[in-house]
Amino acid sequence: MLGFKNVIEYMPGKQAWYEENQPREGRAVDEIWIGDVADSEVPTCDPAERIGDVRARTAGWDTCVVVNPERVVMGLLRKKELDGDPDSSAEQVMRLGPTTFRPNMTLPDLLQSMRDHDIQTNSLVTTLDGRLLGVISRADAEATLAHEAVAETPTNR
Amino acid sequence: MPRQVFSVSEVKQLLQQGAQLIDVLGEDDFEHDHLPGAINLPLKQLDAKTSAGLDHDRPVLVYCNDFG
Repeated sequence: MLGFKNVIEYMPGKQAWYEENQPREGRAVDEIWIGDVADSEVPTCDPAERIGDVRARTAGWDTCVVVNPERVVMGLLRKKELDGDPDSSAEQVMRLGPTTFRPNMTLPDLLQSMRDHDIQTNSLVTTLDGRLLGVISRADAEATLAHEAVAETPTNR
Repeated sequence: MPRQVFSVSEVKQLLQQGAQLIDVLGEDDFEHDHLPGAINLPLKQLDAKTSAGLDHDRPVLVYCNDFG
């Protein structure tokens, strides 16, 4: 190819790069992508963990993400499950197949999706292969964008 | 046929080894977003003249928008 001795193709392309939450350059650095703002401190638990034990260490959260050792999402515990039978395992009561979003989605797009589907709870952000990056609550998404809007408003002097 | 790589770690390793990263998408796409350190050489304009600035002895790692 044009005299080059060693040409290599990155087959998945740039979208897959971003879906792995890798950095970007260009005008898009001024956009808020959800991978930039997802809260990675969200509680997680093992599928075999007792609900009573999970509840004891997730005080203040209404979400716990059930993950495998590679941090791949297996299910989700909401308040209803966290308040349930303490002797059940997470795997027994978790919600299967939770909706997840990729880190290269913009925050305004996520917020629009939350509004369209009346989602008030935490949304999960994962890589292409399902590895948990964090969560974003509706309230945090609204607050972040409101703050950005104020910051971008020109002052009238 | 060019060698193919599939993972982020392979890309990072090649870049550490001195590969030149080439974005073959259009200029507008590139200006909006691209991988760090990439050079824009749109596929439609790719010829001996536009690629003259590249080092022919170093590996060239090219990417498009998505798979295929």
